[in-house]
Amino acid sequence: MKHDDELREEIDAHLAMRREWNERRGLNAADAQQATQRQFGGELRTLEAMRAVHRWIWLDQAVQDVRYSFRGFRRSPGFTTVAIATLAIGIGASTAVFSAIDPLLFRPLPYPHGDRLVSVGYFGPVDSNEFQLVSTQFDWRREQLPFESLTAMRTGGQCDLGSEVPRTVPCYQVEANFLPTLGVAPLMGRLFTADEDRPGGPRVALISHALWQSEFGGDASVLDRTITVDEQPVRILGVLPRGFVMPQLGEVDLLQPARFDDRLPRSQTSQQFIRSFARLRDGVTVQQAREQLQPLFEDSVRKDVPAELRSDVRLVVRSLRDRQYHDLIPASWMLLGAVGALLLLACFNVANLLLARTAARRRELALRAAIGAGRGRLIRQMSTESLILALAGGTAGTLLALVLVRLFVRLAPGSAFPFEKVVVDARILIFSLAVSVLSAFVFGVFPCTERPNPEALAGWRNAGAVSNRLRVILVTAQIAASLVLLSGATLLSQSLSRLQNQPLGFTPDHLISATINARGSRYQRPEARGELLDELETRLSRLPSDEFAMSDSSPLAGSLGRPYSNIRVANRPPLPANGGLVMNRWVTPGYFRALHIPMIKGRDFSEFERASGESVVILNSALARKMFGAESPLGERIDLDGGAGWSSIVGVAADSKNIRIDQPADPEYYRLRPKGRPSYSGIAWFRTGMTVEALAKLVQAEVASIDPSLPVTFGTLQDRVDQQVKQPRLIALLVVVFALSGLLLAAVGLYGVMSFLVTQRTREIGVRMAVGARGRDVAIMIARFAGFCTTAGAIVGVLASLALARFARTLLFEVSPYDPFSIGISVLVLAGAVALAAGFPAMRAAKMNPAVSLRTD
Amino acid sequence: MSRPDQLQGTLELLILKTLVTGPNHGFGITLHVQEVSGGLLNIEDGSLYPALHRLEKNGLVRGEWRKTASGRRARFYAITKAGDKRLAEAAKNWTSVVEGVQRVMGLA
Repeated sequence: MKHDDELREEIDAHLAMRREWNERRGLNAADAQQATQRQFGGELRTLEAMRAVHRWIWLDQAVQDVRYSFRGFRRSPGFTTVAIATLAIGIGASTAVFSAIDPLLFRPLPYPHGDRLVSVGYFGPVDSNEFQLVSTQFDWRREQLPFESLTAMRTGGQCDLGSEVPRTVPCYQVEANFLPTLGVAPLMGRLFTADEDRPGGPRVALISHALWQSEFGGDASVLDRTITVDEQPVRILGVLPRGFVMPQLGEVDLLQPARFDDRLPRSQTSQQFIRSFARLRDGVTVQQAREQLQPLFEDSVRKDVPAELRSDVRLVVRSLRDRQYHDLIPASWMLLGAVGALLLLACFNVANLLLARTAARRRELALRAAIGAGRGRLIRQMSTESLILALAGGTAGTLLALVLVRLFVRLAPGSAFPFEKVVVDARILIFSLAVSVLSAFVFGVFPCTERPNPEALAGWRNAGAVSNRLRVILVTAQIAASLVLLSGATLLSQSLSRLQNQPLGFTPDHLISATINARGSRYQRPEARGELLDELETRLSRLPSDEFAMSDSSPLAGSLGRPYSNIRVANRPPLPANGGLVMNRWVTPGYFRALHIPMIKGRDFSEFERASGESVVILNSALARKMFGAESPLGERIDLDGGAGWSSIVGVAADSKNIRIDQPADPEYYRLRPKGRPSYSGIAWFRTGMTVEALAKLVQAEVASIDPSLPVTFGTLQDRVDQQVKQPRLIALLVVVFALSGLLLAAVGLYGVMSFLVTQRTREIGVRMAVGARGRDVAIMIARFAGFCTTAGAIVGVLASLALARFARTLLFEVSPYDPFSIGISVLVLAGAVALAAGFPAMRAAKMNPAVSLRTD
Repeated sequence: MSRPDQLQGTLELLILKTLVTGPNHGFGITLHVQEVSGGLLNIEDGSLYPALHRLEKNGLVRGEWRKTASGRRARFYAITKAGDKRLAEAAKNWTSVVEGVQRVMGLA
């Protein structure tokens, strides 16, 4: 800023020179002074104007621009409403999606320096996530190569809280250094000590903030209080911070010491599956950690993994974020891409609206330019308008996002996408603001390419050539973008429909499961567990149902398999090593009837075999094929588990989904459960028309008559199926909604531009019709424009879809990302929408009365 | 954005045109405009200065304190390269500006 004295001095110098000049012209001193004053005008006003040049010019003009913009918006409420609504859709959808995937892709994990945390362990065909063995954990902890600290937790479980109302809560057992490794301190009280984390140490626990509130009313005296957990007295040491979640995203109410026993023989500790996490040393990357750990890993594999499985396992070291969200990352990007495309479509629409508006305001702009507004000034004016529109759209969009998030939760409650947990905080608002400003830039840049043309003052309409070309580009881009969205949506819908309509191998509806876990001191002895299951079977089979059976595990629930190479076939060479794992289940006769799994060969188990104590087995088709190829396995005798005893194969059951519904059935064998065989859990299957609630009453009464403290959980196989369909359904649904919104925007955009063109060419159409063109010819002339945009847009769109297709591959079930049918359908839908959008303006043109149209303007 | 504005503030145009003849102070510019236009364009002295400063801020003229022939300290302005360019373009478009203004005024 200029110094005020300097401005003053400049004016004084001028006044002095003028006064001298006046005196030289013969005026006396007083008159010269007066004339000088008159000639100069207001000194103070001039001074102020000079100051303004240096000081306020920017702000003044900004205020002016804002005021001017609002005046303009008030004058065209229709334009303003449509523009803001369009932007609100784009920004709202983006914000809603971003708010849900932000924690998955971008937001720091809820642990200090969470990017230094990794999950480590074996990866094998046993589990979809890496696991660790206690023996290996001991080895690695001694070496501690790339890690600042290494810790582990036992795989989760349920604990029974023995208060007045027995309650089952999620609980975990973790090493003493577990929370320090994560960087989490207790809200109250203290952590476990190493002494408490030793076998035979005192029984202690940390409780969650939620449990503290619900069970103890947030009372500070909870510390050192003793509660009953799984029938044992346990002292409460501390309270976990609010919202604490386990690093594998498990909810937790109770943390107890893991108390791994390093005095146990390796043969036992290598059978204990745990989860291991670590904090990297400063400067060590995940890749380096993996390399440093590799020799140690190979050493542990030799010690802990049976030879035949060694080639099936590999070392995994990956970031905690990857561990938590790996499965959701492709879907997250897909959703982000879809809303991005939608936002782009919205911006292009607003750009088109602005272009039309600029055309209508050409005279106004030219006039402003004529009275001294520079081009930069006009651009700033238009940018101000764009920014105001974007901010209004952003505000409306953020509100819309709140509604959309609720809607998404309603559509897919409990889906893996954390829409339920969305909190609109500063991060989300900043995102929304950033998107708004970015949008303003995208749609605001187009009208700025127009330049005020003095000829426009004359009212000539010839200055539209540049913006017409822009309009073609915009509409073409819109058509291309909406085609990409559409083909994504058709691919996902088709994939979803195949997923939902594929044969599962069992009939999930009207099939209710009741799961009973034999935990607690009463069932320490295996005999007690065996008796419990026998008793349950006897009593529950008497309940009214069409079919009844029991098994020790459920399909689609994930379970450990046994090595394929453990199986021996009598009088045949041993099976090849590295055959992976084979699922297995103990079932009662009637299992296949209850689940509607057909027998392909041989026969079902019978009570007779059970009574005779015969050891019989049924293979699923996948295992039969794997072991015997085309030969019939019936009558073969096999030893299932390395010397466990010989069984006869009596049947082959059809394959039924046993791991995930989007994967083919794993090899599996079923064994007939003999009376008295113990297992920790029993699942009773009822095929019945009853509701879950009605059946639950009956079952609970029966279970209570055996042991009132036994908890029973009810479910259906349909629930498990639905759980696995939930996420693909949500993604497909969202992308379809975005695609349809995008299509609507593109159609509205095309319609707008076509209408504009028809209006613009009214005179030309009038002339053509006056010299004999028929309505049809005019319609075709107009439609040719739409045809051009559509063809160009469709070509670009198809190419873009094909280029982007590979990113969708992991999300698709039995549909090729290059599926021509899907792309064809998308093109057809698009063509239909375009025909509709272009049809009306073309018809209007065809029906024009030449006499009227020649008179316009 | 290669093409400059076709339309200029008239006063600023006159100032630039004056400075082509050589650096001058505000008062000198006033005299020159008055003289050359034969008294037709009689601008109020004070209105010159905000315009001069605006031109300087936009880099079209450069100002510095110097002594006049009579030894008085005054701020002299000189046209810059950018100013030359702007002037040339503005002059080229002047006709169309006039024509446009005339149409608006209903003079054409």
